[in-house]
Amino acid sequence: MTIKATLVLFSILVAPGALLAAQAVVHVQPPDLHGPRQLQDQTATAVVRDYLESWQSLTAALEKNRVDLLDQDFVGTAKDKLTDTMRQQAALGIHTRYQDRAHDIRIVFYAPDGLSVQLIDNVVYDERVVDNKKVLTTQRAHVRYTVVLTPAETRWRVRIFQADPE
Amino acid sequence: MVLASLSLASAQDSRMSLPTTVGAGSAFSIHSTGSGKAVLYIVGPGQALRRDVQLGESTYFPVGSLYNAGHYLVILVAGSSTDNGWVDVVPANTPANLSFLAKPSRLPIGLHNGISGTVYIFDVYHNLITKPTPVSFKLSNPSGSAQQRAVTAHEGVATTEMDSSEKEGFAKFEAQVDGISSTRVVEQVPGSPCGLTMIARPSGKGIQLATNPVRDCSGNAVPDGTIITFTESYDGAQSTADVPLKHGVAQVEIPAHPGATITVASGVVLGNEIHWQK
Amino acid sequence: MNKGRVLAVFITAATVALIAIGTLWPGKTALQYSGGKNLLRTSSTPQAAVENLGDEIRLRAWGAAYSSLGNKAEFSQSDFVHDLTGYYLSLRTYATLESFEVRPLHASSDQAEVRLRMHWSSVVGPFTTTRDLQVVKNGDRWNVDWPLVRKTVVPPQVIPENYLRWDVIYRGPGDDWGVQDVEAPHVRIVDMHPVQRAEGVVVLGELLNEDVVPAYVSVRATLQSKSGSPISTEGSFDKISHILLPKQVTPFFVNFPNATLSDVGSIRMEPLSGLVSASAGPVIVIENQQLNPAPGATVTGQLVNQSGQVVNIAHILETLYDKTGQVVWVADQYTDHALLPLTPIPFDIHIPEDLARKVSSERTIVETYSVGGVH
Repeated sequence: MTIKATLVLFSILVAPGALLAAQAVVHVQPPDLHGPRQLQDQTATAVVRDYLESWQSLTAALEKNRVDLLDQDFVGTAKDKLTDTMRQQAALGIHTRYQDRAHDIRIVFYAPDGLSVQLIDNVVYDERVVDNKKVLTTQRAHVRYTVVLTPAETRWRVRIFQADPE
Repeated sequence: MVLASLSLASAQDSRMSLPTTVGAGSAFSIHSTGSGKAVLYIVGPGQALRRDVQLGESTYFPVGSLYNAGHYLVILVAGSSTDNGWVDVVPANTPANLSFLAKPSRLPIGLHNGISGTVYIFDVYHNLITKPTPVSFKLSNPSGSAQQRAVTAHEGVATTEMDSSEKEGFAKFEAQVDGISSTRVVEQVPGSPCGLTMIARPSGKGIQLATNPVRDCSGNAVPDGTIITFTESYDGAQSTADVPLKHGVAQVEIPAHPGATITVASGVVLGNEIHWQK
Repeated sequence: MNKGRVLAVFITAATVALIAIGTLWPGKTALQYSGGKNLLRTSSTPQAAVENLGDEIRLRAWGAAYSSLGNKAEFSQSDFVHDLTGYYLSLRTYATLESFEVRPLHASSDQAEVRLRMHWSSVVGPFTTTRDLQVVKNGDRWNVDWPLVRKTVVPPQVIPENYLRWDVIYRGPGDDWGVQDVEAPHVRIVDMHPVQRAEGVVVLGELLNEDVVPAYVSVRATLQSKSGSPISTEGSFDKISHILLPKQVTPFFVNFPNATLSDVGSIRMEPLSGLVSASAGPVIVIENQQLNPAPGATVTGQLVNQSGQVVNIAHILETLYDKTGQVVWVADQYTDHALLPLTPIPFDIHIPEDLARKVSSERTIVETYSVGGVH
């Protein structure tokens, strides 16, 4: 997949959704795969598109503490952990808003059976914490995420979503 | 994780003293300066905690308090003042769980790189262990032969490909990481029939057709239930029967027609031809 | 306001008038469903007697139909009903008589022969049965002698069966990532050919189960324009054997109504398969299969059930090839009779007239459905 092609694609497909949220800047690097299977452009495009959409779900779900908003984009461990976080937030009376500002994405693994894709995303986001309607703080974070997505019926879903030190 | 964090710098100037990283599930403390009561928040997508604290003292978080790997915002609220900082929770070093995906669960014999195995390595809290980790894969065939591969996991994942053997049967496919292992069973099934032949003998007014034991090109018995098609052509007409293998052979009785040509096939594989003269 | 009143009065008057007309001169269908006796003509002619019998069969008025027969002493009402609806569970059991045609063959002053063609509708489509009836004059009335086809008696015997059966334990609804699952059967399209017909484009072909386990199969086809954009997607539904045993081949037929082949640049084919529980039996031998040329081109033959189990419904699929071996058409038929053990049942499958000249050879497969044994 060429960088140019991908960027053009995301300016078409992702930007409208991102504009509604907060215009995250998306940069997709060429895949750097350490597995034996090659990745088709179409697959890479779908993976990145679905991953970026998952950020919108995550933002809405953690802001409203609504587990059902995760259903479309998260599965397995990632969904379980985010669900637990929402329950903890609800019990404490807090809400958080994670607004992604920039993504720098590189796909690093495509399983030979085609059943998982791993990507690294250097993401910039703003985290706002609200306790009982009082905004405690808003902070900007630069974080490296390791993400594994697996295919569902019609889209890729995030199965592992983990911030890691470099 | 933290490529640059302005808030961490401000935290260092603040009334909080934070560890830079914490092992998943490990105990840790956060020290604050000043006096009076405050509220301490630790919030990230992975977890959310809140503690009432006494400024000027250390707040102790016992083992198992903060266990999901991630980047956490730490907020100390004392009256109208707020201090912020960041803490990274990193996966434990010891693998505890493997997600081992072996595909396919059933495949024909003799396929080069036909079997793939992918393993994701997790700690006890289901955090992906992303540091390079050695993994060994082993495919043990029923005949006793085995294929082994040593692979280093990158970003928590390792993968390999193996050949299916020439003998049918169930193979054990094992992934092992630091004493933790996970095993899958891969069924290696015979290929298409090879050298398919039948014999015909009179049976009353009909013909009894039976195949010889049906085997693939490696000599493995083709499984029972496989469909064998018999066709008898005569005088512009024909009789056909799709017959499943039973105990390795397929047999059927069809009407006898002198001068008929009888053929046998299985899927796209053709067998021998008999001209019935009786 | 006045206009509204006038309209209301007009509607009321029209309703009353229509009710009166309907009561005094009821329609034929309304009479049938109301059970009205006035429907039936007096059986003053052989044709009227057969028409009355046809109407009674259509209404399932078995008692009246049986009572009207001239030879009813030769069999019971139950035999008569089973002759029409099947002695064993079959397509006939739940079929309804949609219509019938009566055609006099010849007649004398006290005896006549009349052909009754009955058009039935069933869950898998219509089928037609024909009976040539003797009609005998009895006083001023005519009575039908029903040509009863008696129940086929299978000689008492033991037919050993040890066919393989596959059962599948499906995984639960939970997330199974990283846990072993069972592979779906591997299937392959071995032939595919689009055909332009008056009603649209038809994609024909054959699908092979390459695996060692039975497969529930289907085929999905997408017509794509010359620019590569999808025109339409359809699936195979009826002219396919959905359950394929290992190494078995089924034809498939995907219909695209109103499509034009000249608009199609390419076709994307998707063979679909899933694990299914299945039995390797019963074996059905297709005997004396013959290609009968046009006009009235057909494939005829007989099905013989070689097992001891009654086959309640058999679906016969006919793949027709040209002399190069390419599939030119797929035709099918369901048997309206149950297949008893070792008892031949004839079949007769129509081939479209314009394709008949191209057909050089054929292959028949039979998909069976059974719910019980011989009793």
